[in-house]
Amino acid sequence: MDSIRRHPHQESFVSGIIRNNPLFVMVLGTCPALAITTSLEAALGMGLLFLFVLVGSNVLISLLREIIPDEIKTPSYIVIIATFVTIVKMFCNAYLPALYNSLGVFLSLLVVNCIVLGRAEAFASENGVFDSFLDGLGNGLGYTLALGLIALLREILGTGYLTFGEIFAFLPYMRLPILKALDGSYDYSMSLFTSPMGGFVVFGLLMALLQTKNLRKKDAARAAAIAEAQLTAQEGA
Amino acid sequence: MSQLGYVFLAVGILLLLLIVFFVTFVLYRKAPAPKGCEKLPSAENCAKCALGEGCAMNLYGQKEDPKK
Amino acid sequence: MTAYGYFVAFLLAVITDLLVDNVLLSRFYGICSFIGVGNQVKSAVSMGVAVTLVIVAASALCWPIYYFVLVPAGLPFLDTLVYILVIACLVQAVGLFIKKKSPALYKSLGIYLPLITTNCAVLGVVQSNTDAGILAGQSLAENFGLSMANAIGTSLGYLLMIFVFACIRERLATYPVPRAFKGIPIALITAALMALAVIGLAGLGA
Repeated sequence: MDSIRRHPHQESFVSGIIRNNPLFVMVLGTCPALAITTSLEAALGMGLLFLFVLVGSNVLISLLREIIPDEIKTPSYIVIIATFVTIVKMFCNAYLPALYNSLGVFLSLLVVNCIVLGRAEAFASENGVFDSFLDGLGNGLGYTLALGLIALLREILGTGYLTFGEIFAFLPYMRLPILKALDGSYDYSMSLFTSPMGGFVVFGLLMALLQTKNLRKKDAARAAAIAEAQLTAQEGA
Repeated sequence: MSQLGYVFLAVGILLLLLIVFFVTFVLYRKAPAPKGCEKLPSAENCAKCALGEGCAMNLYGQKEDPKK
Repeated sequence: MTAYGYFVAFLLAVITDLLVDNVLLSRFYGICSFIGVGNQVKSAVSMGVAVTLVIVAASALCWPIYYFVLVPAGLPFLDTLVYILVIACLVQAVGLFIKKKSPALYKSLGIYLPLITTNCAVLGVVQSNTDAGILAGQSLAENFGLSMANAIGTSLGYLLMIFVFACIRERLATYPVPRAFKGIPIALITAALMALAVIGLAGLGA
């Protein structure tokens, strides 16, 4: 569909954002996607920290890829990623304590996040530093966008407001009444969406939406192939 | 024990764990699969969460059947 | 508290973690494997049992290391690194043991063992046991007892929920699910309904 020939550097960056989105297409890293997304600010904060961990570990692993022997690849990557996550935890605890408190255990769980380990093994272990950096950036952005989307839906529908300034202290505290603005009668919300069930429902429906789009594309492709086969059969006959 | 003693103990435990991890990891990989289990789907792929066809843990499992 | 009182408190903590604050449906720790394995009942139960063993063993090992080595050394920030190493060592050691001694077990559990290292539930439970710190007026032994109750309860809760999930999904595979929902979306909706059931138990117990 896109006849634009992308430079290989750009390819690894762009594909991580939408086409191979780590959360919606590859279905990796789903734990934070359901737990952190009750608040848009927390989700974006998590995405930012995730981006840092992913980029850092990708770059470091790519730098060391010649030195680490093949047999102990996976354990070394786990150790490197754990080190990065520890650094990020301490940084977050010091400078963004509100984010640290709201993320809780899930910040430590970045160590076993499938995306970080997966990108390290699949990409950074075989490609150059700059490519790995871009790949990490792209996947991190994609994951942040995906988290942000789920959090946006859950927070707006679940609380009726978009709250800023609670976690990122440098932002002014704002409570934007979204639902009230759209349906101005009174203050209401559907607290289902901030409950655990809501997380599953929002994620499931978004995946269904994505699957519909894929199915439509596949059906169109199959119809086109059938039509073409009939055409060549007619021409041959 | 003084705090420095505990620090040494902590670092010692960390190094011990690292060594045990690397050693057991390599041993596990090199150990031959028991008879009758050679053709199990690639455990490596499953471990990387890069689950593909043939894996019992097929995450995004609705890939097209390769036989079709 | 008497011994009986401790026993009841322990049991209550186990049941709370099993049902009320269920690790999968309420705390969202093991979702990756939950969606992935919950296709067939046999593999789901194997995974659940393996995870149970690893969580309990890892908690029993990591709690003492944290409170008796890392904290006195003034290095509490090394906990994540130490925990993941302990878990990984346990998993590899258990895998080695199974590979050499029990081909039958290897056949059912073998593929999942490397996956348990990256299972969010294991690291999540072990980390959350020590993240809370010692509460006011709680002795070290009580904290350890609570941590072990937490470990046992959450792992049994994982086993229970993954078993139920797999049973439902096995049946679902034969039902006429709309095309857009086939596979992961309907699995997530199923999980949503299970989560709804668990919400009803909120407030029960500690």
